[in-house]
Amino acid sequence: MAQHLVGWLFAAPAIAFYVAFVIIPLLHTLQYSLYRWDGIGPSTYVGLQNYAHLFSNSTLLKSILNALKLIVFFSVIPVALGLLIASTIRRIAASRLAGFARVIIFIPQVIPLVAAGIIWSWLLASNGLVNQVLAAFGLKHVTRAWLGDFTFALPSVGVIGAWVLLGLCTLLLLAGMTKIDPEIYEAARLDGAGPVREFFAVTLPALRQEIGVCVTVTVIAALASFDIIYISTQGGPGNATMVPGYAIYYLAFFQREVGQASALAVGLMILVLLFILPIQWLTRERKR
Amino acid sequence: MILGRRESLTGRVLLIILMVVTLVPFVSLFVTALHESGTYPTGISWPARPHWGNFVEAFRAADMGRLLASSLLIELGVVPVSLAIGTMAGFAFGQVRMRGYQFAYFAFVLGLTLPYEAILYPLYYQMRSLGLLNTRWAIILPLIALFMPFSIFWMRAHFVNVPRDIVEAARIDGANMWQSFWRVQVPLAMPAISSLAILLFLWTWNQFLLAIVLVDDPLKRTMAGALGAFQGHYGTDIPLLCAGSLLILTPTLVVYLIFHRRFSTALLQGAVKG
Amino acid sequence: MSFRVSRHPGKQWRAATLLAAGGLLLAACSGPGPSSSSSSTPAGANPSTSAAASSAGGGTPSCGTGPITLDAYFETGFPIYKALTDEFSKQFPNVKWNIRYDQFAALTSNAPRVLASDPPDLIRIPQESELAKDHLLLNLDPYAKAFGWDKWPTSQLQSMRVADDGSRGTGPLYAMGLNYSMTGIFYNKELAAKIGMTSPPQTLDELDAVLAKAKAAGITPIVQFNGGATGGFAFPLQNLMADYTPPSEINDWIWQKKGATIDTPGNVKAAQHLQEWIKEGYFDPDANAMDYATMMSRFIAGKALFMFNGDWESGNLDKQMPGKVGFFLMPPLQADGVHAAMSTPLTIGIGAKAKHPDCAAFFLNWVNTNKQARTVDVQVGGSHPMGPADAYMPPIPSGTVTAQTLAAGNVVAHDNGAMDFIANATGSIYAKGWTPNLQELFAGRQTPEGMLKAVQAEYETEVGH
Repeated sequence: MAQHLVGWLFAAPAIAFYVAFVIIPLLHTLQYSLYRWDGIGPSTYVGLQNYAHLFSNSTLLKSILNALKLIVFFSVIPVALGLLIASTIRRIAASRLAGFARVIIFIPQVIPLVAAGIIWSWLLASNGLVNQVLAAFGLKHVTRAWLGDFTFALPSVGVIGAWVLLGLCTLLLLAGMTKIDPEIYEAARLDGAGPVREFFAVTLPALRQEIGVCVTVTVIAALASFDIIYISTQGGPGNATMVPGYAIYYLAFFQREVGQASALAVGLMILVLLFILPIQWLTRERKR
Repeated sequence: MILGRRESLTGRVLLIILMVVTLVPFVSLFVTALHESGTYPTGISWPARPHWGNFVEAFRAADMGRLLASSLLIELGVVPVSLAIGTMAGFAFGQVRMRGYQFAYFAFVLGLTLPYEAILYPLYYQMRSLGLLNTRWAIILPLIALFMPFSIFWMRAHFVNVPRDIVEAARIDGANMWQSFWRVQVPLAMPAISSLAILLFLWTWNQFLLAIVLVDDPLKRTMAGALGAFQGHYGTDIPLLCAGSLLILTPTLVVYLIFHRRFSTALLQGAVKG
Repeated sequence: MSFRVSRHPGKQWRAATLLAAGGLLLAACSGPGPSSSSSSTPAGANPSTSAAASSAGGGTPSCGTGPITLDAYFETGFPIYKALTDEFSKQFPNVKWNIRYDQFAALTSNAPRVLASDPPDLIRIPQESELAKDHLLLNLDPYAKAFGWDKWPTSQLQSMRVADDGSRGTGPLYAMGLNYSMTGIFYNKELAAKIGMTSPPQTLDELDAVLAKAKAAGITPIVQFNGGATGGFAFPLQNLMADYTPPSEINDWIWQKKGATIDTPGNVKAAQHLQEWIKEGYFDPDANAMDYATMMSRFIAGKALFMFNGDWESGNLDKQMPGKVGFFLMPPLQADGVHAAMSTPLTIGIGAKAKHPDCAAFFLNWVNTNKQARTVDVQVGGSHPMGPADAYMPPIPSGTVTAQTLAAGNVVAHDNGAMDFIANATGSIYAKGWTPNLQELFAGRQTPEGMLKAVQAEYETEVGH
């Protein structure tokens, strides 16, 4: 009995902080989402009207669609490319070059996202490096101001995210691969498996857990993206790069529609869970 | 093993490409920072005469000294407390496993998926009514709470793999548990704790959203938060903006390069365990 | 960061549902914010606060003689604030300053919250209507009386008056200007000479001809920012509007007069004209990715003939490219037409709950009446100070852009062509209405008619409540 009590005492400070600055604000978000409120004056209870508005307002709906599209860039590309790269460099993972590369390709994960946003805004500008390289390869006709183009702004933001997350995914997957028993590979080779079959028969199944982690982290990064958008496009041009994170911020602090912002916040939380729970379930390790 | 050699060659080429893609943006930033302030340079082009003074000017203009001090104050407020209470709770959930702990642990684990935007406005309102808006506390207190899910998840993953000898020793009382926690468990957990410390340090340093919403004065923000303001302030001047961005990046890069071994191995292993 | 869902999902889901249910319960109790019964009379709603008190005691409000620190919240990027406050402290050494600077966009978003929680004595405000409606700004009428601002030309203060329903133009005074700006077209004299433009165009047709000539000569005709959250095409658009529509009608819309609409036949013509310019390729192809700062650096680097902008850059341009820049007002349709321009005060309000309202008001009066202050205003700010028509004006070397923009001010005053800025009609009409639609217009994804309809719809949802 005493032990249980002591256990709770050990956890108490963490629980106190969590309740005070996460749980209570969270409940407030739920509460605000049922009101029309400008954040200063009195509020009016409007029931689920703010939620209905999420589905009727094209800008808000579009922001959610954009976040889903960003998953392709933040999640699918880094994980797929990361798998490809990691399985190619697996055999030289212990070399000095690989050791050095490990340090380098992790850097984008270390710097602030806003810094990545500033760097890439510059690279993607009309006289930035991206266009310079394209022009050098004779592709001058495709050069443009990437972040100001209705069609390409969202993919460009996606590229920034992919750049940030690719290193992390590659290293995570590589770490997973080095844990695979080399004898399994030997056996596969002896069976006459080429690199492709080897990848699908041995590598991929063994990496379930690592892939699950990569997908989880990157999907959250895509759905909750804010920093990069804030710095590079502020949702523009038009609403081409509007995402829920930025829309919440804008609704709450510029338009002072706290109720709508809160409803969107709740929607975003549910969206994240809708993605993450199945991923977790699918990639969970079989019971040890 | 011809196949092997070819594989190893493609592997090396791929690695080099990957490193280039990672580093070239920084190179572009760097050479742009060397152009004459006020000009509008192109992509990567070496200036006729490098203006090293831009870094001095950006350091002065951004009030970098005070920015560093502010970030360090915030770090001091966040990291030690998070480590202490996160380790304690991780110990409780991983070793003691008291009755009903699963509920609390689940509530924390769910918090790992929480987008910070979701509680942004209530936090703002809460800080305002506490009178903490525009103080560093407005960043420190919520960050400690928001770091709890990961800290506890991380420390529990360590403690769950430690044999439960101490806890299971018959009739241990609270005082003994407290002592054995600090004298035995914490020293044993030091590798996990120090990795967590590095991660929390970086996440605090890079925190942007809370900083821009809860603190108006850039000089009371985190480094990342100040970077946003810097962009607004010196936006006219692309070389200066690049120089300032590089300066603001440097501390994180230095910390990373010093601790990179511990950092990446820990993060990579840690991400998967638990 | 990663996680693993723990082992007993069943139980925990129940816990989570409980939590959620708790939230709903809590929500049902009471709404956030002050309860509606006791809310609406904080300070500021009531004009008879300290100003009246101090003027009742005889004499005009002042900063006194004791040490005093004024809290201010200004906009980054413009040297005028520092220049004026430094000069003020030189003349009144008992006054010290605690100034916070922020970008205009951030300042716009923070203004209501800062005024509610941590009210500064002086604050740069973008748009008075909503702040006044929320009782966050001090009613300055008592000061206007005490200092005699009510004897200045009425048009100067008109845009800062807000009626109870939030419409502007009449009602109590809620802000004061540090100066008032003048907008028009800056041109690069060297590039103009290259294409044979010896004097500014006198009509819109002449302007069109110059634009075509520049384009043909391989010179970018107009550098104009239209990226991120700020659509700078609002500048040329509004200038074109004033060619097709009387400025007073545009003002009615901006000032939220009942029944005003932006979707008029004249404005459609203006938007169509802008679309023509876009189709002719008179703007940089990357305008939708260009911010204000980039526009400035390109114009200064001599990369374009024209730039639609305001006299807040006059001092800067005189310094960066002395003698090389000219300025003219948007030419009317006919040579004898009226010259109109966006011309708004650099509005500064006093927080409703400010600690030193008297001293703050004294400062605002000083800025526009003191000789040195007016000199700073013109030389550093580039704009015309407020105040009586016959007030002191510092000498300005002829040939500078500053001299030209100041002279343009007289033309606009004579033609009664001053307009507020269409982006200031409501708090978020710029970011939610004009900017996305102008960006779409530029990209060929929106029609002139559709743009005005969309902006009007956004306007109505915002003014509606």
